[in-house]
Amino acid sequence: MKLIVLTFSLLCINLAVSQDMLIEAEGFEDKGGWVVDPQFVEQMGSPYLLAHGMGVPVENAKTRVIFNKDGEYKVWVRTKNWVPGNWEPPGKFQLKINNKVLQSILGQRSGWGWELAGTVSIRKKKNSVELVDLTGFNGRIDAIYFTTSDAEPPSSMKKLATWRKTVTQEPLAPNITKKFDLVVVGGGIAGCAASIAAAEQGLNVALIHDRPVLGGNASSEIRVHTLGIYGHFERILKKLDTEHYPNGSPEAYKDQEKRDNNVKSYKNISLFLNWRAYDAKAIENRINYVDARQTASGERIRFEAPLFIDSTGDGWIGYWAGAEFTYGRESVDKYGEHWEEHGELWSPKQPDNAVMGSSVLWRSYEAEGNENFPEVPWAMPVARDYAKVKGEWQWEFSRNDLNQIDDAEEIRDHMLRAIYGSFANAKKQAENANRKLEWVSYLVGKRESRRLVGDYIFTLNDAKSGEKFHDAVVMETREVDVHYQTVLEDEKNPDFISEALFYKTPKYYIPYRSLYSKNISNLFMAGRNFSTSHVGLGGPRVMRTTGQMGAAVGFAASLCKKYEVDPRDIYTGYLDEYLTLIENQKYTPIPDSKQ
Amino acid sequence: MLFVGLGLWWSEIGILPRVVNSQDETLDKRPDYFAMEWEEGTLLTKKQTPFFIEVETMGNQSISLLTDENNRPRLYTADIVTPVCADGECRLMYLTLYWNLLGGYVGFDKVEGQELTKHDHEEFTDPDYEKLHQLLLDDNSILKRKKIDELVERPATSEADGVDATSGATIAEVKESVVDGALYSCFVAWNIAHGEVKRELLDNTAGLFNLEMKHYMLNSNDVDYQMYALKSFEEGDFIAFKERIVEMFRESIPLIRTYIVQNLPELFWRSDSLQIPFWESFDAIDINNRSLLLNHLETAPKEVLLSLSANMGLMTKNQLKTYLMGVEDLVKENSLLAKELDSFAHSKSNTYAYIVEEFLEDLE
Repeated sequence: MKLIVLTFSLLCINLAVSQDMLIEAEGFEDKGGWVVDPQFVEQMGSPYLLAHGMGVPVENAKTRVIFNKDGEYKVWVRTKNWVPGNWEPPGKFQLKINNKVLQSILGQRSGWGWELAGTVSIRKKKNSVELVDLTGFNGRIDAIYFTTSDAEPPSSMKKLATWRKTVTQEPLAPNITKKFDLVVVGGGIAGCAASIAAAEQGLNVALIHDRPVLGGNASSEIRVHTLGIYGHFERILKKLDTEHYPNGSPEAYKDQEKRDNNVKSYKNISLFLNWRAYDAKAIENRINYVDARQTASGERIRFEAPLFIDSTGDGWIGYWAGAEFTYGRESVDKYGEHWEEHGELWSPKQPDNAVMGSSVLWRSYEAEGNENFPEVPWAMPVARDYAKVKGEWQWEFSRNDLNQIDDAEEIRDHMLRAIYGSFANAKKQAENANRKLEWVSYLVGKRESRRLVGDYIFTLNDAKSGEKFHDAVVMETREVDVHYQTVLEDEKNPDFISEALFYKTPKYYIPYRSLYSKNISNLFMAGRNFSTSHVGLGGPRVMRTTGQMGAAVGFAASLCKKYEVDPRDIYTGYLDEYLTLIENQKYTPIPDSKQ
Repeated sequence: MLFVGLGLWWSEIGILPRVVNSQDETLDKRPDYFAMEWEEGTLLTKKQTPFFIEVETMGNQSISLLTDENNRPRLYTADIVTPVCADGECRLMYLTLYWNLLGGYVGFDKVEGQELTKHDHEEFTDPDYEKLHQLLLDDNSILKRKKIDELVERPATSEADGVDATSGATIAEVKESVVDGALYSCFVAWNIAHGEVKRELLDNTAGLFNLEMKHYMLNSNDVDYQMYALKSFEEGDFIAFKERIVEMFRESIPLIRTYIVQNLPELFWRSDSLQIPFWESFDAIDINNRSLLLNHLETAPKEVLLSLSANMGLMTKNQLKTYLMGVEDLVKENSLLAKELDSFAHSKSNTYAYIVEEFLEDLE
């Protein structure tokens, strides 16, 4: 408990004139039924607590706060009404301080900002604060601000960041620095495979991941099954992949345990779970360090290494470091990715910012008795008359005014409205009287966002030709499978349902040159943010293939260390040795004791 | 060559197919199941083409072009007889299929006295025929990427999901789209309708394509025709057909609108009179295309910037931000616009009132 109090003291600050105290909600000691959501830090400024109760109010989150001075404090809460409109806001909650509920109903303002919860009289050092969820429908709270002044804290993002730093008196740089041979950011299948490959070759690896469990889209939190072949890396990928269960299945837990245990079994992988990278600094096109923050406590660490792997999916490390990247669809002529049969849906004449969408999976079950589900008027403009009791991969959303990174919260929230609304419609059907929501993910399962540019850009033509590049390190037989929103063909369709277009190809290969940055000399990439065109991504975006990419760069990193060179040098100077190393992965190594 | 069934040769079965009466050299009624418009009084005449569908053991089945009274190509058709075999038993399936000028399946006629039957020998009901028609209309059907044996294989039961498991999901999707008890017939029909013939017919039409056909397709309600015509456009065509283009932009599907707004020649964005009709459609079009229109805000005439303020309530958050950025200078000099923004910002019913409020605050 001492540690928690200390943690809070880091986040709380008393100013000389007025008494002020900022409490980050994600730092609550007991989160009750609220969950930490760190997905949108770059857009709204912080991880936050989310009351994800699928329509049933969640247990109170509780924490204790130490006040140094008594006084009358105004209590501000940073929150937002996630579905503004002509209905009761869905995510309402209240604050309880020292067992007394403040009367203001929170979660009512449009856009992230501060709501006044009330005024409290603080007369003792130790005080309790509780979050009381009223709806179970995704109320959210970023922070609580106690102040004796009359000034409202700033809401605009520009001013907020500076204000936050001032209030918390956070130094510019983290005060802890750790050094590694290799820093891998993003613990999806690609990042895990990269870490294992490098660790097996003796590298001291840091794996930074912003969730409590590994696997990204394959994790038990998102539950997409892995597809694709193993290529050279069956041994490693079998430690990480999933069975071919239906997307959204709780069978994901079994593979989760396997994956987590396997990664944790490597002594030279330092695993930073619940740590989210927030910056990468490159000087002269070379990354010096990555800074990351613990998603609940707010602690920070600077990670230094000669080599970095961006397996964040969104290409964050490359983005912060100034790596070249692309987003959206190229014109059909740019790489000649034409497919007559599906024309503009496949590849447009003019480039645009459309991408494949994100999914939020969900399921319900047959309960023993009648189960009620509340009216959700705020969901109906999205769901309309669509009625379903579960959602598979087709539950996918993209729209050209929404960026899969910058607008990810809106995309997730749109999917939640689609889910709750469609389920509410289904519940009106007699056969679903006993149906009860079992699980709705609150994490956005993304398919496509930033793609970092490497020395080679993989395209549909490479898949069609099946060219075995002289530096081929990844192989795949799965069709190129590009999705589009069915509403583009018929406005009567729900805007959150997609369809897949499958282009059958021969076995195809991805060259090593697509797996390191063109202009950031010590940056590898693995996962959906590798160097590819929009259509090119359609095939190798599945997770055994991205896992192959991870393993491939993990082994490349080991040679970088051996010769003290950069990723490109492996291609120009050590390719034979590298390919041999990869080729040898096909065989189970003979343990030292047997040699 | 289309191979169907489970490896039985037709000749071994000892039943001779009925000779299809191909004497009907004209088509003067709407086909039984048909996805296109059919004008009353239409009379189409069959013309031979060099194309045919080769069906296992049944030989070549000719495809004809159907032309109207003025000898203009309108459809393709073929009388199909094909064996459908399942579990060692074969039957003949008779259908007259129709394709549009792009080789896309559009409908079929039943052959008199030759009802389709299911596995249990029950005849197709009307809803069954309708379901078959809907299946054939789906050019991206799951049947496209599956072999027949993959479609009938029973899935392994999943622990958590019972029969609804992954491969079960495929089966479920198939079950949903095919006529119950007639998987083989559906599979065979889909593969004939969407076989290589599609490409051949499209190529044939490309050879026949002329100004009349461009007009015809452009003015059609068929979105594939609209797209085909648009893709044939040269810069001058956008001007020549500008009224129709605006009409399509307003009334067609989002995909067509997108093609139009993305491919309008620069000339349109330099001319007030040419671009205004597109802006006037703002409230009638879908969200994606509103975004694409807003990409041209910089070259929009002042009256458009002003009139768009009436549509702020339709805009998404990011669209509104784009619009506000576009009117940042104008709002300083136009008090009417400023007033309108202010009233929007203070209305309780506007979802994104706060965006306008913040914008006005920043202006101060």
